[in-house]
Amino acid sequence: MSQAVMTEKAVMTLEASGLTRRFGDRVAIEDVSFHVAPGETYGLLGPNGAGKTTTIRVVCGLLAPDAGEVTVAGLPVAATATEAKARIGYVPQEVSLYPDLTARENLRFFGRLYRLRGQELRDRVEEVLELIGLADRGDDRVESYSGGMKRRLNIGASLLHRPELLVLDEPTVGVDPQSRHAIMESIANLGTAGMAVLYTTHYMEEAERLCDRVGVIDHGHLVAEGTRRELVARVGEKDRITLSATGSLALFAEACRRIEGIEQVDTADSSVHLIATDGRRRLAQVLAAATVTDTSVRSVEVEEPDLEAVFLHLTGTALRE
Amino acid sequence: MRTSPVVVIALKDLRQRLRDRSALVLGLIAPLAVAWLVSAAFGSTQTFHMDVGVVDRDRGQVAAAFESFLRSPELRDLVTVTVVPSEAEARSKVDAGTLDTAFVVPEGFSSAVLAGGGRPLTVLGSVDTSVATQVSRSLASSFTAQLEAVRLSVATAVDAGAPHAQAAALAQAAARIRPPETVAAQSASTRSIDAISYYAPGMGIFFMLFAISFGSRGFFLERAGGTMERLVAAPITPSAVLLGKSLATFVYGVASLGTVAVFTSLVFGAYWGPVPAVVALVVALALVLVGLTALVIAVARTERQAEGLSSILVFGLVLLGGNFIFISAAPPLLRSLSLLTPNGWALRAFTDLAGGADWTAAVTPVLVLLAFAAATGGAAVLLRRRVVTP
Repeated sequence: MSQAVMTEKAVMTLEASGLTRRFGDRVAIEDVSFHVAPGETYGLLGPNGAGKTTTIRVVCGLLAPDAGEVTVAGLPVAATATEAKARIGYVPQEVSLYPDLTARENLRFFGRLYRLRGQELRDRVEEVLELIGLADRGDDRVESYSGGMKRRLNIGASLLHRPELLVLDEPTVGVDPQSRHAIMESIANLGTAGMAVLYTTHYMEEAERLCDRVGVIDHGHLVAEGTRRELVARVGEKDRITLSATGSLALFAEACRRIEGIEQVDTADSSVHLIATDGRRRLAQVLAAATVTDTSVRSVEVEEPDLEAVFLHLTGTALRE
Repeated sequence: MRTSPVVVIALKDLRQRLRDRSALVLGLIAPLAVAWLVSAAFGSTQTFHMDVGVVDRDRGQVAAAFESFLRSPELRDLVTVTVVPSEAEARSKVDAGTLDTAFVVPEGFSSAVLAGGGRPLTVLGSVDTSVATQVSRSLASSFTAQLEAVRLSVATAVDAGAPHAQAAALAQAAARIRPPETVAAQSASTRSIDAISYYAPGMGIFFMLFAISFGSRGFFLERAGGTMERLVAAPITPSAVLLGKSLATFVYGVASLGTVAVFTSLVFGAYWGPVPAVVALVVALALVLVGLTALVIAVARTERQAEGLSSILVFGLVLLGGNFIFISAAPPLLRSLSLLTPNGWALRAFTDLAGGADWTAAVTPVLVLLAFAAATGGAAVLLRRRVVTP
């Protein structure tokens, strides 16, 4: 995960404030505000129909908001705001390429639309093909590609002009595990390259792995945002520590109860179950207690609450419902 | 130098169209092939000619006069005469198609005519040469009418007191007399139009109109495939997207009809007219193509609808406009209806130009075509202001 820079609001790559968009009587998003700093990967996490795609379309100037404002690198975004749009790389949810053109022809076309010309265009096309692992298939028509290759090219077409903000709308939907892993690796590297990334997903694992901060969106409202740990702390979820051990487990349990942050201790046949805040930080004291009480610990497992639990807590529904 | 996004989009569309074999076939190969086939089938519709046989069983003076009549300079371009020894052979040649028709001059024909009577000339024809048979009957009737006129002239002179001994001289003098006035067919144009010169533009325009289907379907495919979303997200204005796609349709239209014009002129000898007037017409037609494509896009909601609407539009226009028939030979109602269509106006202009009219004959049609283009384009804008949406 890349290092996030979140404190300097003056240098934010993306600022979205008070975004509201209706389709007839239906409110797709309402008063959605967030920002993404340079080098930060921000995840919009929510189930299908939560408002993620609408938010992204407003951010990219594809939809005009009924209220609110979006700026990219300080420039307001609108359908005709070419300067702001030139700073955005947009990866649509579906593969959006010309199947009857080759990968190189697709990249050259989109590169020209993003104002690349001549040698710079040629160089960038080759760099991107190398980056997405399609250099040896660049002259093949896209229609001959596998689903994963198309997905990689779909992302590559948005990287040609080195955007300040990369916006990805659920880029791994329908992708095989191998390609999904490759895509996530590529995106993780983009953050370290200084690019701000706005990433929508309904896969909790992706948000946890890729995103510096996560915004939880449900029914068009951004219900919470922060780092994973901040979100977990906010909803009050605790870590679970399970120790498989032999010896005087009752003494060991009693010693654990005296450790600060350990809130509950239960013993079973050959194991001790602890509920703690910030469990990993308590581990050293727990193991010291085992030594003191002459308890032999065979294995330790720490279960931290995930975003699934956070989402369930915040919305009352599971993420994939 | 930075290429305009309009040109970038147009070049991409044209590249895709070149990759699409059906577009190449319909845009270039089909119009050339069909124009050639149609013109070969119909031949030169303005130059009628027939091969006739003459079976002279009479061997007399009037029979010789009839053969001379058929070989006269007035009929030289219409008739080629072959003397056939017998009626049976003549009938056989007509049936075989070697001759279009044959005249049988009966035995005793001359003496009967000179005696003031007559014997019928026989015309042999076939169902395959109905026009030639009709023309041959008319020629036979014309000749016998002339004989009757001479006979009446001589009889009138003899009744008035002219000596019988001078009857033969009187007959020869009467035969030399021609009607005081003749009707000569004269085309409004200074040259006749051969079939290829009519059908080349006709077929070229017909297949050019198929670009409406390609253009509108491509637009909906771009939308369904998500690439329209990418285009709108790019740092270009929505109007650049629309102009780029219109430019591609325009170039395709000009290239399609232009290639047909050049190819049919060089290879098939078609005459399209003065180059500046032809260029103006081709450009104006391509603009109409852009307008009609925009209209279909504005009206249709899906690719399938666009395809259906395009087909109806194309076939409606070519049927009314006269792309498949010589519109000048069509009933008056169809001739009037053809002027409701842009292709009808264009064909009228191409016909006039091919017939020898100067460039001014294209001015009104070009203006009408530009008005068509403006009207259809304007209607498209009014029907759907936000055509370029993801």
